[in-house]
Amino acid sequence: MEYCVKFCVNDEPVELTVSGSQTLLHVLREQLGLTGTKEGCGAGECGACTVIMDGQAVNACLILAPEANGKVISTVEGLARGEELTPLQESFIDHSALQCGFCTPGMLMSAEAMLRENPTPTREEINRNMSGNLCRCTGYKKIVEAIEDVVAKGVYQK
Amino acid sequence: MRDFVYLAPETLEEAAALKLEHDDKAIFMAGATDVIIRLRDHLIAPDYVIDLKNIPDIGSITFSETAGLRIGALATMTQIATNEHVLRHYPYLAEAAAYVGGRQIRNRATCVGNIVNASPLADTATPLYCHDAVLELYSLSGCREVPIQEFILFVRKVALNPGELVTGIRVPYLPGAMGIFRKIARRNEVDLSTVCGTVLKTDNGWRIAMGSVAPTPLRLPKTEALLNAQPLNDALITEAAALAATEVNPIDDVRADRQYRLDIVSYLVRDALTKLR
Ligand code: FES
Ligand code: FES
Repeated sequence: MEYCVKFCVNDEPVELTVSGSQTLLHVLREQLGLTGTKEGCGAGECGACTVIMDGQAVNACLILAPEANGKVISTVEGLARGEELTPLQESFIDHSALQCGFCTPGMLMSAEAMLRENPTPTREEINRNMSGNLCRCTGYKKIVEAIEDVVAKGVYQK
Repeated sequence: MRDFVYLAPETLEEAAALKLEHDDKAIFMAGATDVIIRLRDHLIAPDYVIDLKNIPDIGSITFSETAGLRIGALATMTQIATNEHVLRHYPYLAEAAAYVGGRQIRNRATCVGNIVNASPLADTATPLYCHDAVLELYSLSGCREVPIQEFILFVRKVALNPGELVTGIRVPYLPGAMGIFRKIARRNEVDLSTVCGTVLKTDNGWRIAMGSVAPTPLRLPKTEALLNAQPLNDALITEAAALAATEVNPIDDVRADRQYRLDIVSYLVRDALTKLR
């Protein structure tokens, strides 16, 4: 079955026809061309598909396309303003917190959602919050340090 | 995924009528963290998927000393893990919810969904078993309440009649209860439980529930009776830990073998009794 859905992605309203059995991940990547959001497992295990929906980090592979109706969604493409990266993105670069980069969009969105809610997480809180995001390259240490650096700089405020 | 009709009713009446009409051809979803995986893996192939998230008034978490805790059908694991009443009066339930999957899963997955799925290793089940929680069911022919132990019948089998749905879970308040929830998994985060369990010390005695050690979560009545018959001491803790392992019947699977699970049950009981004594 096909459904007309309207939602907001990265501050842009969109109106699309989707099928019930499509996931939000596929709609973002294939219909909207927002391929920053990755598909790793497609089963809620890896976090590569993490987006922020109505303020909460969620796995786009575990959302049916029609569920997106009326939602406000941010993807990794929505972080930078033109060429200007966010402090979190800069910090990932400064700390070499990425190698192949496949997990990075999901890592950024998870960290972004966490920091908007809790601007001063402890290392333990960072680890717990990021546990749904797998990285096969970095060993996580640099990712955590990149986030801690942003926390230390007090970029986010409640 | 095979295509299906996605329905998003806005009232309970509508949801129940749709389920009654399509019965086995329809499945309810809330957080959908389990449903979508099962659709994707072709374990289920419904013609209709009925999303409950647009129904108002079934999402809240409320608490009073007389009514206890009420967890609405749409309350997420994140909401339960951070709710002030749950943290204060049912901290072991908050803990169980806080260790389901990763943050992205907890932001979507619901406690009611966890119970309705009736997985033997459902993380939130054992605290609810210890509290003799009650499922609130709704259908067009009326409402009824079913104790959780009578609701979960077997692996993925629950006592729902055609056209019936769960609107919430009532968790009686036990003043002064102290408990410990433990989840043993291959890794600490984002894994299914190899064994999970809750041990509760109440004014009226001990309550123990274990998960992933039988087709359903279990209370351990013999161990509870043993503990309630005499004051706790080292010898009794040892005896209770041994008895607990005889009350469960785990299987070998990818996560662990039977003997490991038996040993863990004893360990969890011994450890919790030692900490709560
Ligand atoms: S692709 Fe969604 S969690 Fe892996
Ligand atoms: S940088 Fe390669 S998976 Fe994380």
